[in-house]
Amino acid sequence: MSCEFLSPSEAVPRWIAPGATVGVGGMHMTAAPMSLVREIVRQRIRIGRLVTSPSASLQADLLIGAGLVEELISPYVGFEHLGLAPAFRRAVEGGSLAVLECDEGSLTHALYAGAGGLPFIPCPPGIDLTDIPKVNPTLYRQVQDPFTLEARWAVAAVRPDVTLVHCAEADESGNVAFGGFPFTDRLMALAGRRVIVQVERMVSQERMAAHPPGTTLPGFLISAIVVAPGGCHPTAAPGYYGRDEDAIQAYLEAARTPEGFQEYVERTILRLDEPAYLEQVRGQQPAGVS
Amino acid sequence: MSGAYSTLELMAVVLARNLQDGEVVVMGAVPALPLAACRLARALHAPTLWYIVGGSGTVNPAPDSLPASSCDPALRPAPSTLPLPDVVLLEGRGDALDVFCAGGLQIDAHGNCNLVSVGPWAHPKFRGPGSVGIPFLPVTKRSVIYTMSHTPRTFVERVDFVSGPGHPSGPEQDRPYRRQGPSLVVTPLAALDFDPHDRRMRLRTVHPGVAVNQVADATGFELVLPSQVPETPPPTERELSELRRWDPHGVLRR
Repeated sequence: MSCEFLSPSEAVPRWIAPGATVGVGGMHMTAAPMSLVREIVRQRIRIGRLVTSPSASLQADLLIGAGLVEELISPYVGFEHLGLAPAFRRAVEGGSLAVLECDEGSLTHALYAGAGGLPFIPCPPGIDLTDIPKVNPTLYRQVQDPFTLEARWAVAAVRPDVTLVHCAEADESGNVAFGGFPFTDRLMALAGRRVIVQVERMVSQERMAAHPPGTTLPGFLISAIVVAPGGCHPTAAPGYYGRDEDAIQAYLEAARTPEGFQEYVERTILRLDEPAYLEQVRGQQPAGVS
Repeated sequence: MSGAYSTLELMAVVLARNLQDGEVVVMGAVPALPLAACRLARALHAPTLWYIVGGSGTVNPAPDSLPASSCDPALRPAPSTLPLPDVVLLEGRGDALDVFCAGGLQIDAHGNCNLVSVGPWAHPKFRGPGSVGIPFLPVTKRSVIYTMSHTPRTFVERVDFVSGPGHPSGPEQDRPYRRQGPSLVVTPLAALDFDPHDRRMRLRTVHPGVAVNQVADATGFELVLPSQVPETPPPTERELSELRRWDPHGVLRR
């Protein structure tokens, strides 16, 4: 399979079928593939099951607020020191979003299982003393340890139909390199049936070859690459720019009410196509911030 | 000394004094307070303390100022960095990590933490962000709990949802994983620990200017109150000057 270089508006409908299980990377307010997320919002593609990294922020809240997510697998949706996730809270408290409750440990091991072809995997210790598995029979079941005969919780493998992640760089063969922190994004890409990668820039194969092991993915795993400089905005892209805290706070302020959320989406996302959004961000931000 | 230091600075100092040389500490979201405490402990009495900053996986990062986010690009470069899936492996192994720093929307008399929901899970009155890594609390050698909210709404007899397990309420020999459980709770009003007999939260020191009954009134369950409750020793000049070296923007003084 060879990877295609597409625009966000081409890549999103090509590989995200309505109702699919979609993995979206980015940890807290860093390295969220926001160009792809905004395009899902513009094209109103329904997500059957959204899987996030162990800690999601705007990438999840925006899709949830737009009413596009039926079920959520996420150990955390929030904005750290900036506060709680307004759309996520509203959707759960109002009963319009089904949460498959989980934690960082189970999700990470479920992604290992998905990436490695295991149907399920025993959970690491600790979860048995929480209420998490009790409220999520979809992902958690009790199994017997075949060696000690003790009861243990197991978690089902998680395999996104398509995984969306941000990388710093790609080369012309579709190999990609994570900048800064690969988080669980690299693992989620390994578990995905398809992978769409949003990158800051194209580099030579020689430069790509210089990246250390464990920080790259080969092009044969990647279905589409979208070159979107500035595309993580308003989250950070390590090595390229920091998070735009003013823009995140403007979102949090607007999203306090459903009407404010709608107005925000209309004004900042729907009114502009993605190239125009990125053009506007580049006009506002000093270049080269890391 | 009143007014010479902030509540957050005092809390960072209390946490730092509790950290022991050689321990490996792991912290999660909003890392400014535990990160400041770890750096202070290393500078003063625990030169071989190790600390892992949450999602970034950075080990012993020493940025010029205190980052607000646990995934802040400013945490790089660090002397070493674990990819996040490796941090999860070590959290599950348990014997690699000594101190897990955690908090909660609700914290109960036995030190259970809840980051998920107030009210029934299926119909929450208030939905929190989620449990992230705190189910690993009972697997780590010990945990420390910190919160900026010491109110009866946060400190409840029993959490509505267990995200981060605390001490078991049953017999000591039933303690799973044979780890120490929560060993310290730091709030804007006081430092607390747990009674060794029934493992209920116990008032240890009250911060300067805070009365014992003020802490009891702010707690939604009956605290174990020793006959003598000393005052938390205020930060020394040396502690404050070290702390402020990495906090030029006064993140802990806001």
